[in-house]
Amino acid sequence: MAVDDDTRDRSPVPLAVVATPPPTISPMASASQQRPIFRLEARLGANWPNLRTCEENTKATLGQIEAKVGKLTTPDTSLVLYGSLARREFTADSDADWTLLVDGQADPEHLNSTLEAANGIKGIGIKVPGREGTFGQLTFSHDLIHYIGGQDDSNTNTTRRILLLLESTSVGQSAAYDRVTRNVLHRYLSEDHGWLQGRNPYGVPRFLQNDIARYWRTMAVDFAYKQRLRGGEGWALRSTKLRLSRKLIYASGLMYCFSCREVAAIAEGKEGTASRLQLAIDHLLRVGMQPPIDIVADVLDRNDEFHEAARAFGDAYDQFLGLMADSAIREHLENLPQEDASTDPTYELVRHLGHRFQGALDRVFLQPSKSGIFELTMRYGVF
Amino acid sequence: MNPIGYSTGALAHGDVARGLSVVRRLGIRVAELSALRLRELDPMVAFVDGADLSDFNYLSVHAPTDFAPTDEEHVVATLERLACARKWPVIMHPDAVWDFALWRRLGSCLCFENMDKRKGKARTADELADILSLTPEAQVCFDIAHARQVDSSMTEAYRLLRRFTTRIRQIHFSEVSSGSRHSPVSIAGLRAYEQIASEVPDGVPVIIESPASVDEAAIEVDAVERFLNYASVARTQVS
Repeated sequence: MAVDDDTRDRSPVPLAVVATPPPTISPMASASQQRPIFRLEARLGANWPNLRTCEENTKATLGQIEAKVGKLTTPDTSLVLYGSLARREFTADSDADWTLLVDGQADPEHLNSTLEAANGIKGIGIKVPGREGTFGQLTFSHDLIHYIGGQDDSNTNTTRRILLLLESTSVGQSAAYDRVTRNVLHRYLSEDHGWLQGRNPYGVPRFLQNDIARYWRTMAVDFAYKQRLRGGEGWALRSTKLRLSRKLIYASGLMYCFSCREVAAIAEGKEGTASRLQLAIDHLLRVGMQPPIDIVADVLDRNDEFHEAARAFGDAYDQFLGLMADSAIREHLENLPQEDASTDPTYELVRHLGHRFQGALDRVFLQPSKSGIFELTMRYGVF
Repeated sequence: MNPIGYSTGALAHGDVARGLSVVRRLGIRVAELSALRLRELDPMVAFVDGADLSDFNYLSVHAPTDFAPTDEEHVVATLERLACARKWPVIMHPDAVWDFALWRRLGSCLCFENMDKRKGKARTADELADILSLTPEAQVCFDIAHARQVDSSMTEAYRLLRRFTTRIRQIHFSEVSSGSRHSPVSIAGLRAYEQIASEVPDGVPVIIESPASVDEAAIEVDAVERFLNYASVARTQVS
């Protein structure tokens, strides 16, 4: 994990990547534009039908949820959706990972709103959230904002916080959601002294990046934990997700942090710390509004040198979504015993897709390129 | 430096004359004449017409927010006569407007305020821009407490200040509770405001809205002075 190290930050020989202007790796899409993943699909002449079907499913489902329970939200409460709905990868077998986020005065009615939200979402016919209890209930802004690290930052709290930044959306009134997201970012950035003072020549916020890395490692460790706890039940499906959709969150998280160097370049020499802070919060809000795949796809699209890897990235991910949308395959993976994995053709396909996806990420993050991402990964993604 | 003033409504609820006398006792000559309720507007006109306010360097009027559509023409016409004719800014809540065409008559003397989180309009820079597109000449009253209540990270305050730098004609200063009540500024509030101090435009009058007795008001004025001194230094550092 990266640690704050002023000596290293003040390296007299900055990597070429920080020369102005830096290569564009910042996702810039706005809501009115075509999603970056589909822009990339068109540019490469690829065909990713599962991604498009998932987009349609997501749009329809979010509309249903909004119509059914959006009215439960207030200026102090937002209905936040995580998981496949936030990734815009919803399929018939997906569950709705949601929480009622409270940022305001304590009110006993909040629980009733949560129960109504649960009933409303269930009434649409969507599967209930997983058994860990991370979703499907109330979340309080104070925990997300104040408990970063330390004894009180539970797995659940870390998950809710990091996904709020990288894999979330809201329906109904979004004021509380917007406010909490900004305040979480405010904590990561304003307490990153080296970054705030402009002493970090790469402009990548270490506190934030370290927590995103921690979350990824936590997911990987929890995979083993759940495997043991559940006696192997459902391991193949969890492994499939870890290899692709969970890994994608981390890849997008790295891009999210790396993109801050462009804010640093804008702020360089012209602004005080207040402007640097607010410009970065604004920037990360815009980037984080996109699903993880779009954060990565935008970078791949803008850098020709990654187009071959982009093809493998998109093809593998689209096929993965095809598998997840097939109820029979999903059930097969859910029930596949670990000892049969090496001879199971479906799991072999999953492994192949996972390797192809990883190969594409290796090209982008772990091999030298003009984009400078390799150097940033070396500097921030490992130690 | 920004002139510091007080809202008469914060010092003497619904009583402009008493409010102004407290402002004078504070030794300041900048005030906002508050007629937040429609019933306070005509008495304010009568008071202003008969008062000598020549010792004040800056005056503005806070327009009513509780009128019906049938009263809107009367409100606008009264404000034209009371404020615009004297070149005083009219501070207006966008959510109280029924017909924006009527308000366009006030031209650049009209100032729309960014609102607190309860309101469905003008809470953010984007929402305020929507309102201003309906009244192209209108100016802005930046309410720092509303901006913080909407977004305590102060990003929205920063956006508002950056986007409307040249249109901000007055600043409202106080703190707003989660129940949207104005209150004296806390240490935490001041610390938050300092984050965007460098963006506060120099020279724009700052009107305090914290409800207060004379003694309490003097403490608020001191707090605002400290904030504005901080802002002055912060502006120098980034320029």
